[in-house]
This record gives sequence, structure tokens and C-alpha cells, in this order.
Amino acid sequence: MQDSPPPAVTVKTTDMSEFDSSSAVFKSRANKLAALLATGEERTRLWRPDELAAIFRHQMAAPMLVDLGGFDARTANKIKTLSEAQGLLLKSFADLLHHPAPVKELLELAKDFAKANLDHPESGLPGEIAATLYYASIAAALVRLDARISQLPDADLQRGLKWTMNQAWLDEETKALLATAAEKLSGKPKGAGA
Amino acid sequence: MKPEPVQSSIFPRTDWAGLGQAANADTARLDQLIRQYWQPLRIFLIATFPSLKNDADTLLQDFAEDKILKDGWLRKADQNRGRFRDFLKMSLRNFVLDRLNRADAKNPPLSLDELEQEFPQPENSAEEFDLAWARTVLAETLRRMEADCKNPAADQPRRSHFWEMFRLRLLEPVFNDAEPPAYDQLIEQFHLKSPTDASNTLLSAKRIFKTHLNQVIKEYAGQDAATAAEIQALEHFLNRLANRD
Repeated sequence: MQDSPPPAVTVKTTDMSEFDSSSAVFKSRANKLAALLATGEERTRLWRPDELAAIFRHQMAAPMLVDLGGFDARTANKIKTLSEAQGLLLKSFADLLHHPAPVKELLELAKDFAKANLDHPESGLPGEIAATLYYASIAAALVRLDARISQLPDADLQRGLKWTMNQAWLDEETKALLATAAEKLSGKPKGAGA
Repeated sequence: MKPEPVQSSIFPRTDWAGLGQAANADTARLDQLIRQYWQPLRIFLIATFPSLKNDADTLLQDFAEDKILKDGWLRKADQNRGRFRDFLKMSLRNFVLDRLNRADAKNPPLSLDELEQEFPQPENSAEEFDLAWARTVLAETLRRMEADCKNPAADQPRRSHFWEMFRLRLLEPVFNDAEPPAYDQLIEQFHLKSPTDASNTLLSAKRIFKTHLNQVIKEYAGQDAATAAEIQALEHFLNRLANRD
């Protein structure tokens, strides 16, 4: 499914200087106060489901060093070296995942970053985005390098790839990568039918 | 985060020096608390005793000076940690009733009609007090959060982004029914480098809000457990009221 452009929205916000939180609180009824109190809960979802497409686009365009460099200084240096090696000039996650010959170690780091976010209860990265990055990294290694960077059993990996490619907000290029990986894993060449 | 400095007292008649060195910390703390929660106390007093509306401020001042500050009240309140709000409410009600009884002794008793008017709906006045109290807590929390985030001396240069993100994503939609700005707009406005960066900014804002909320409540509720219980009590109260509205 192609991403359709978001509908035009009139954003009803006040200027920074105009918003008087005290006045807003004292004029508000209990339901609004309850909603404000609930915002302190970290478990509440940060982003709306209709924002996932934009968030994934942002993730794919994000410089790898920003996210992967957070592991440690040694890893950050390694990423810098690897992404600049052999004239690959891999800057973003999209560069890495859609490169015809990506660096395996970088795919592993991207997978580990995604997994760390998936497993961390306080991670703010939506689970759908982390899961997609996780399976897309595995898929890129399978498709471009004929390499397995995950120890997941085939059935679990297939399930994960299929779940990810069925996400409505996912771009076509990543869907195609996941579909090719799923076919490769099942031993069926692309277009061979059931 | 440091507690707010005590500003000029609302109790100009109080002789702080006369209360002794040992009590200074407690009295200053009480002064600040009562100043902060003056409005809920006033609302409760007027809702419970409508005919005393014109005397509300004087009665509250007397309550603070004669009852709270000179009667070992804080020690009693400390023994009731976690129920500070109820204890304060009950103390004020008893104080006013005591004043009325003393007045009755000097003057002819009130008529039955007048008495009924004096004690309209204890439940309603308690709810009005609790709602005003919740508003005061939340307004103070937001005031401190905004000041904290906009503090130019803060060592985090992007700290002001936390308040702005919180305002745009959470406060404006809650209070003004505003559409939250689209994710793409946030990227541009806050120069967000990745979704992790965006999520961390919003999460940090929520944590700052929670930290200030805890601090505001801890100043009257006491220990962490009592603070957590008070937050839960306020949540239950507001949700109950919201469901009834």
C-alpha cells in the first residue's frame, strides 16, 4: 500500500507566550484534569498508530551513527569506519538496508539496536518500528549477502517477516525486501507460486 | 530540584520570631503549604459554611495561626501522613464549628433553617475542596515544570524543548482540544535526529512532569509511599468525577 499524503490539518495551538497552564487547569473539568494526570504514566503510548509511517520514514532517514553510536565509543568508531569503508558511504538506515552489498556487521548492529528497543520496557520507540527494523536487517542480510544474522527458527522468522510486510504503513521498497527474504527462506524462488 | 523559596507570608499577623528557632522550619513549611492551598481551603470553608463567606479569609488566617501553628498540629498531621488533605479539611471544619459554638454561647442560637444552611452537603463541599486541591497541585506542577524547562541556567541546552513538546503534544490537546502537531512537523520544529530522539524528548518531558508532580505532593504528603498513594487517590477521585459528569 502506498502512503497517502496526510490530510491537511488545521493545528489549533496557541503561541508559546499565550498558553497559561494555570488558567487552563483552573478552568478545566475533572475529565481534563484526569487526562493531564494520566500523561505522567510512561506506559501510555507516545505516538498514534497513524504516525507510524512518518516515524518509519524518519527512522530510515536517520543517520546510523545517531542511534547505533549510542552503544559505546568503540562501537561508534567501528560504525564510522565500516560505513565509510569501500566507498559505501552508508549514512542512513535506508542506505544500509537497501544497499546491494551492505556490511554484515552494520546489519547486525542495526538488528541489535532494534532488539534492544523491543526488549526495553521504557523504550520510547514504537514496538512496530523496532520490530520492522529488526526483521528488515535480517532480511537484508538474507537477500543481499545470503547470510543468517539471526538464530530464530525458520518458522518464527517467517512469521515475523510476514507480520512486518503486512503493516499498512510500511513503504513498498521495504515490503519487497521482506517478501524476497520470506521467499528465500521458504526455498521458493520469487514468482514460483504456492 | 529545590523547593520553591518561601515568599512573603499571607499571614502578616503571625509573629514568626516568637515561635522559636526549633519550630522555624516547620512553620515556614506550613506557611508555604497553606499559602499554596489557600484557595481549596477557602472553597471548602465557603461550601461548608455558606453564611461565613464574608469572614472566610479572616477565619482561615485564624485557623492557620491559632490552630495549625500553635497546637502541635503539624505533629498530629505528620502522624497522619498520606491523609494530610483529609486531616486539614477535618481540622478546618472542627475549628469553624468550635468558633460557631463559642458564638452560640454568647448569642441566641441559630434558627433551624439557618442551621440547615450551615451544613448543606458535607459530601459536596468535600468534593469541591478535593477538586480545587487537585487543580492547585496540577497548576503548581505545570508552573514548576515550565520554569524548570525554561531555566536558562539549566545545563541541558535542549531542556526548553521538553516543555514545548509537552505543551504541543499533551497540554494543548487536553485543554484546548487542539489537534496534536503531526510527527513530521515535530521533526522540523525540534530538529529531531531520529524517532529515538523524538521519543526520548517526549519521554523526558513526561518524566519532568512526573518529577514535579511527585515533589509538589511530597511537600504535604511526606514519604514516597504516601506520595504515591496520594497520586492514586487524586486519580481515582478525578476519574470518578469525570465519569459522573
